[in-house]
Amino acid sequence: MIGRISPQALVVPLLLLIALTVGAVVNERFLTLGNLRNFTEQLAALGFVSLGQAFVILGGGIDLSIGAIASLAAVLLAGLHGGNEALFIPSLLLVLAGGAAVGAMNGWLTVWLRVHPLIVTLGMASVLSGITLLYAPQPRGSVPFWFEGFAFDSLAGVPLSGLLLGALFLITALVLTRTPFGRRVYAVGGNAEAARLSGLSVKPTIITTYALSGFFAALAGAYYVSRTGVGDPHAGDALTLASLTPVIVGGILLGGGRGGLGGVFLGVLLISLLNNLLNYMNLSTFVQWWCKGW
Amino acid sequence: MANFVTSRRARLASALLVTAVAGTAFLASAPVRAEYDGVPRTFLWNPGLNDLVDTSKFKKKPPYKIGFSNASQGDLWLVTFMHGVQFQIGNNKDKISKFIMTDANGDATKQVSDIQDLLNQDIDLLLVNPATADALDPIVGRAMRKGIPVVSAARRVKTDDNFVSFVTASDTALARMSAQWMVEKLGGKGNIVLLPGLAGASPAELRLSAAKEVFAQAPGIKILDTQYTGWSPANGKKIMSAIIQRYGKDIQGVWADSGLQGSGSVEAFLGAGFKSNEIPPHTGGDLNRMYQLAQEHKFPFIGIDYTPSMGIAAVDVALSVLEGKPVPKRVDVNFQIVLPKGQDTKSVKADVALEDYVRMDAPGDLIMGHGMGQTYDPKTFKADLPR
Repeated sequence: MIGRISPQALVVPLLLLIALTVGAVVNERFLTLGNLRNFTEQLAALGFVSLGQAFVILGGGIDLSIGAIASLAAVLLAGLHGGNEALFIPSLLLVLAGGAAVGAMNGWLTVWLRVHPLIVTLGMASVLSGITLLYAPQPRGSVPFWFEGFAFDSLAGVPLSGLLLGALFLITALVLTRTPFGRRVYAVGGNAEAARLSGLSVKPTIITTYALSGFFAALAGAYYVSRTGVGDPHAGDALTLASLTPVIVGGILLGGGRGGLGGVFLGVLLISLLNNLLNYMNLSTFVQWWCKGW
Repeated sequence: MANFVTSRRARLASALLVTAVAGTAFLASAPVRAEYDGVPRTFLWNPGLNDLVDTSKFKKKPPYKIGFSNASQGDLWLVTFMHGVQFQIGNNKDKISKFIMTDANGDATKQVSDIQDLLNQDIDLLLVNPATADALDPIVGRAMRKGIPVVSAARRVKTDDNFVSFVTASDTALARMSAQWMVEKLGGKGNIVLLPGLAGASPAELRLSAAKEVFAQAPGIKILDTQYTGWSPANGKKIMSAIIQRYGKDIQGVWADSGLQGSGSVEAFLGAGFKSNEIPPHTGGDLNRMYQLAQEHKFPFIGIDYTPSMGIAAVDVALSVLEGKPVPKRVDVNFQIVLPKGQDTKSVKADVALEDYVRMDAPGDLIMGHGMGQTYDPKTFKADLPR
């Protein structure tokens, strides 16, 4: 249902189980509804960007501009409406569409210039970071109070961000496994030349995967704004590399064409649970870094 | 906020008392030499009134569970500050049953998650050194609305209502004092170079603005160059070496907002072949190496620390909150003016002589003003925390 789970991804549920057991033993507040809610809220941004990165990598590319898109989206979302609440929803839509457009530009440059996506997206990251810092050298702007609900409110006890993330994972997994577009992504990622010779539209497929990645990066930026109430020019800094970990841990091959979103979802759970667990273990910071490295 | 703040005039006397406790109680608990042990002078000289916060609604019986959300341990000052928090938690083990600390590694979004995790562990009070004033504002506000008192240390969050008390040191007073000394040392006339800290960081920007305010009132002072240094000795040296190449002996004074980069500047003058008596007047405290250089080479110097002992004071304020004692909305910990003998000017007098303050026996990278006694060494410090 949620995609092709690779054999490597089977290790992840076991690690999740171990993490949950350790957490339950070391701190009685770990396995509580309160922490489950916190944990769900904490994994949303990583979940969004990992989804986008998964599409790009499955299609044979890589996106190193995710963090820069998220940061730019954050400062624009907080700043564009200039305190006028009526302009906030249009700003949000504009920012999400802008994220997709920048992503599509990444894809277009990759197929048009035939330059490795690593270089294209790294270059794009540098350009976007420059624009972000020119617009907002320091955190700026604000959001309507109700928008904080995206980060902190729940529906029937489940955080809104968690519901959205779950829904997005389900929808995208369906798209990937049940639609011609999904099959094209696997075909292009597996062997672009063979896909082209088979008459598949390679270039639009690649461009669409980058556009999706850009959209999800902008969504993550918007989520950070709802959590912090401000557009921080460095909000997305850690997201680029972070987005790769769940994808790889989840069993998607870096070369593309193999793996599924089920593994990525478990990867997101594992990485986020690790951060959460280490806080509950009250370990020294340096020990925490060591643990995350492992 | 309006609910907490009581009549300011009526409470002024107790404010003095509480600030004395907050700012200096630690001095009594740690053996330090030649240190001022009265209330912080910034409190006494503050031309405004100090809001006093009624904390009776937070009063609880000990033992307490305190959560500390730290922004970063990214430089030596931050490490020393954190040690101060741990040191004072250890000194109050009889009142504190559990101390939980998280570190956001400079990432504001991670710090939001850290605070969520702390709140879920039923802490009685949240001590926070926010990575940024704005980004931490909503989550800290949520803590307050849940009835968990927040004490902000070193840096504050944006909204006044979102914390009970803010413990810090006055960046503006520190910068004004050193800038005024420089003006008077040069007889109101000379070419100077400004070496602020990290571009965009609020302490650096505040200090630079306050110093410029002073220099703007001295028409004979000409600012040759202003270069941010990121509070790094290596950057300080590199940047000043380039400036020396350009201006040479035309540089008559160097205003640095900290000895972190100030020491690098002195090293640059020595590296460029300046003799000890040719090094122009310098400002900047914090780093023992800066004091050691001033003592060794005898150039005109003023040192004022941005005292990391505010970590100790923050724990004292936190305990006062949980004991239901009124606390000032803002606590400025004291700093001392350190001058070599004979370097007083008409407005700026020494609180302590350089000769008595410098630690020639200690490593150069020791951050001064830590308040943890003569034996404190950041490399071997081990906190005696409640388990």
